Amino acid sequence: MPLANTATSVPVVVDEDKCIADKGCTVCVDVCPLDVLRISDLTGKAYMKYDECWYCMPCEADCPTGAVTVNIPYLLK
Amino acid sequence: MDDIRSGLSEVECDVLIIGGGTAGPMAAYKARKKNPDATVILLEKANVKRSGAISMGMDGLNNAVIPGHSTPEQYTKEITIANDGICDQAAVYKYAQNCYGIIQELDQFGIRFQKDENGEYDVKKVHHMGAYVLPMPNGETVKKALYRQLRRMRVLISNRFMATRLLTGKSGRAAGAIAVNTRSGEFLVIKAKAVIMCMGAAGRLGLPTSGYLFGTYENAANSGEGYAMAYHAGAKLANLECFQINPLIKDYNGPACAYVAGPFGGYTANSQNERFIECDYWSGQMMQEFYNELTSGKGPVYLKLNHLHEDTANHIEQILHTVERPTRGRFHDGRGTRYARDMIEMHISEIGFCSGHSASGVYVDEFARTTIPGLYAAGDMASVPHNYMLGAFTNGAVAGEDAIDFAAQVDFEDYDGEAIAAEQERVLAPTRREDGIPPNQIEYKIRRLVNDYLQPPKVTKKYEICQSRLAEVREDMQNAMIARDAHELMRATEVASILDCADMAAFASLFRQESRWGLYHWRVDHPERNEEQWKCHVLLSKQDGAMACEKHPIQPYIIPIADDEKDAYYNQRIQAQA
Amino acid sequence: MVLQPFEDFSDVEDLAAGLADNDPAVRRVAVMELADTAAPEAIEYIGSALRDESAEVRLQAAIALGEFDGPEAAAALGLGLQDGDQRVAQAAADSLAELKDPQAATQILPLTRHDSAFVRAGALRGLKELRSPNALTCGLKALGDPEPGVRVQAIGVVGYLKPDEALPALIGCCRDISAEVRRTAVGALAFSASPHVADALVGALRDEDWAVRETAAEVLGRSGFRKAADPLMALLDDSYWQVRLKAVRSLGQLKAVKAVHVIAAALDHQIGNLRKEAAAALGEIADSAALVYLEKLVDDPDPEVRKNVRWALSRIAG
Ligand SMILES: Cc1cc2nc3c(=O)[nH]c(=O)nc-3n(C[C@H](O)[C@H](O)[C@H](O)COP(=O)(O)OP(=O)(O)OC[C@H]3O[C@@H](n4cnc5c(N)ncnc54)[C@H](O)[C@@H]3O)c2cc1C
Ligand code: SF4
Ligand code: SF4
Repeated sequence: MPLANTATSVPVVVDEDKCIADKGCTVCVDVCPLDVLRISDLTGKAYMKYDECWYCMPCEADCPTGAVTVNIPYLLK
Repeated sequence: MDDIRSGLSEVECDVLIIGGGTAGPMAAYKARKKNPDATVILLEKANVKRSGAISMGMDGLNNAVIPGHSTPEQYTKEITIANDGICDQAAVYKYAQNCYGIIQELDQFGIRFQKDENGEYDVKKVHHMGAYVLPMPNGETVKKALYRQLRRMRVLISNRFMATRLLTGKSGRAAGAIAVNTRSGEFLVIKAKAVIMCMGAAGRLGLPTSGYLFGTYENAANSGEGYAMAYHAGAKLANLECFQINPLIKDYNGPACAYVAGPFGGYTANSQNERFIECDYWSGQMMQEFYNELTSGKGPVYLKLNHLHEDTANHIEQILHTVERPTRGRFHDGRGTRYARDMIEMHISEIGFCSGHSASGVYVDEFARTTIPGLYAAGDMASVPHNYMLGAFTNGAVAGEDAIDFAAQVDFEDYDGEAIAAEQERVLAPTRREDGIPPNQIEYKIRRLVNDYLQPPKVTKKYEICQSRLAEVREDMQNAMIARDAHELMRATEVASILDCADMAAFASLFRQESRWGLYHWRVDHPERNEEQWKCHVLLSKQDGAMACEKHPIQPYIIPIADDEKDAYYNQRIQAQA
Repeated sequence: MVLQPFEDFSDVEDLAAGLADNDPAVRRVAVMELADTAAPEAIEYIGSALRDESAEVRLQAAIALGEFDGPEAAAALGLGLQDGDQRVAQAAADSLAELKDPQAATQILPLTRHDSAFVRAGALRGLKELRSPNALTCGLKALGDPEPGVRVQAIGVVGYLKPDEALPALIGCCRDISAEVRRTAVGALAFSASPHVADALVGALRDEDWAVRETAAEVLGRSGFRKAADPLMALLDDSYWQVRLKAVRSLGQLKAVKAVHVIAAALDHQIGNLRKEAAAALGEIADSAALVYLEKLVDDPDPEVRKNVRWALSRIAG
């Protein structure tokens, strides 16, 4: 069976103006227990790549610049 | 990142610890501390800095046995009764004796427990008999403090490696494990003289009512590999039919925290504002009462704090919204609910395996030894009942110390090289397909079936249907699942564990032909508890490639329990509403 | 690329090179990486980052030092505590409170005499957990500090050390103008069985602040001051039920037989918590005069109340 691309709205948002991933920071990507954050090759900033979030918050708590916001996933909001 | 690369490396160590959440770091620390010359590897699927149930800390210790507040004898008695008598007391008693020392050690690590103005531990009374609850006001630093100790002890830490199978030697002894990197798909074989499994609960077994796969009560990284790996290695697993089910905040799926709100006067109420829980201890019986109320006309069920002084309610809110599950505040903001004003709707969680809250786990003795020589288990995946966080720490310590001694006495065990090639093939199979079913769909289907058929009340016919449906899904998984990058490969590998756990949950439940542990094992076709035939463990294991169960006697009690004590407890009970 | 199975950190010195970068963001990243090494040699470098021109870098350094312990970390944090940027100073105060090594006290003590109340409070908060006997003099002195926030922290330092000689000063704090100071002082008196303490606690039962009354009621029971039974009974008229609840519990702990009838009055209260506590206290006291009251409650709608009533009845019977 062929695959489709079904859109999903992800709970974690990164403020690209604040993110310093391009300066070598990878903290949020490092700490996420579900390993769902990545640094974008395009923008050099962190973003949520996979919608598999436990809304646990280490990414936000440990981010040095306050760039990460964890929202409640829509399905349970 | 995430592109699949081929590769296989091999490393050696004296003791391998799999899972760096709560029990794992403590096991690694204690092993190195006891033998600084030994090599100790801590393997973690995520990153030890923030992995596991306590990733953002904990509200407190639920079961601290502290001199002056409770005794090991009293604690052992309460756990035995709360677990309906199915309890090898030696391990519980040993925990109760050791845990105070562990608290003091954690305190020295910089982990803060609530103290009164004289610096004494501020233990709270929640249960009728002993006082066991010790809050942790700045619990969010727990993992950082542990991590610091591991760095100082020079434990070798391997992050982002997911163990997939254990290796056993020709004599049946533990020989190591195979792991796959979650960002590259490369394999790592770790030869070890002793292996300690600390992979946490099987948290992705049932599906949360929200339908969000990762909105589980347990840390969603805990997908049950520990249980599946132990099974495939031939270890015995105890009382898997004693499910974990917890009372939670509806939809948010985070704990509603009787242990936090209780000491301040908060409680669980029905829609008539009344308390309804008779049972004193968090147990299957309590969950039965919860379930009964939910399904009766008196539901829904609420967390009630709005009778307390506004300052008190706000104080509780502040605690609950900063540690453990800190997004809770955001959830309530979104819903417009305030603890000081509103009752907070609660619900029951999806099912899982977890000895931390109930009793389902790999069968271990008081030294954390499994039934396989050289293989240990501690924390939520080991069979010591009602263990919680302090149990994970304490028994992790026991396992680390015993394993490092064991490793000093033995040499590496040879394992079958073909097992590694076969395991690589099993894991990588989904990457070999061009087209097929992605793991998230297979996972959803398994977990939806678990909800439809395995969630209590347990009905024999429904269980049988489930078994045959799961067998169909297994065929799809084996023949059609695809993984397009290393991350998806991790999910695909997890799906296999989830399916194994679902099969084990069904099999063990059908074997025990009675009802026990309240809601956890409420079998509609066998509604009574049967002390004569079933006051025993049920051990599940792999025999000649297939699942098998056996009865196993309970160790004679070391702390006897008088009949009237048992009766006092059972008299409080409300029967299931069949 | 060869697989790197283990977490590996480059040399502390290599990492510290990042601290000289022109870009403050790069310097921040260097601070975080240094902290991750958990190596004692990193403290000096992170400490130097507390003098960085960028407040962001200083903030990161103040947070990072919370991962270390000992006199060097304390000295560096002392600097951070005096930072002009409030976020940096607050982070340093939080990190100071993480210290465990009693030897760190020497570095912190002088700061208890600092001009800024924030620094004094932060220093005392850090000293509390260290339980260093050397801190007693400073702590006692700070009980008279003009700032209430400093006095609260000073009570913490003194309360953890539990010296009898501090009792007069702590008792004095029970009449402080700040309610928070009074409440903390009342709590800190729990270690002593002195009759003067009992008097002070009884006095605090009439405090205007409910949280002070609640704490005083609780401590009196816990400390077993028998002569507190009468004033605790009087407290059962308190306007606030959470205060009455603590008074009831303490009367139970004191096994105050004469209180049976007044406690029984609480059995009618609409809030189950108070009924439950009253039943439990009557069980503790175990006097047969309570029977008539308890028997009326065997069918209470609240299971916690019923459970405690059953327990109390069995205690009286046996
Ligand atoms: C939301 C919540 C609240 C709780 N509140 C309390 C409380 O207030 N008080 C209390 O005492 N207890 C509480 N508990 C229970 C307590 O946290 C747990 O019992 C305890 O932390 C379990 O420790 P563990 O080491 O067994 O598992 P975990 O700490 O979950 O660690 C398991 C680790 O194994 C890793 N892992 C999993 N699979 C693999 C694999 N295949 N390969 C490598 N690594 C793997 C995971 O990433 C994880 O790091 C709570 C639990 C939860 C979920
Ligand atoms: S932690 Fe913050 S600054 Fe660092 S990469 Fe993530 S979003 Fe960017
Ligand atoms: S909230 Fe937790 S799971 Fe979600 S992205 Fe952040 S760290 Fe990862």
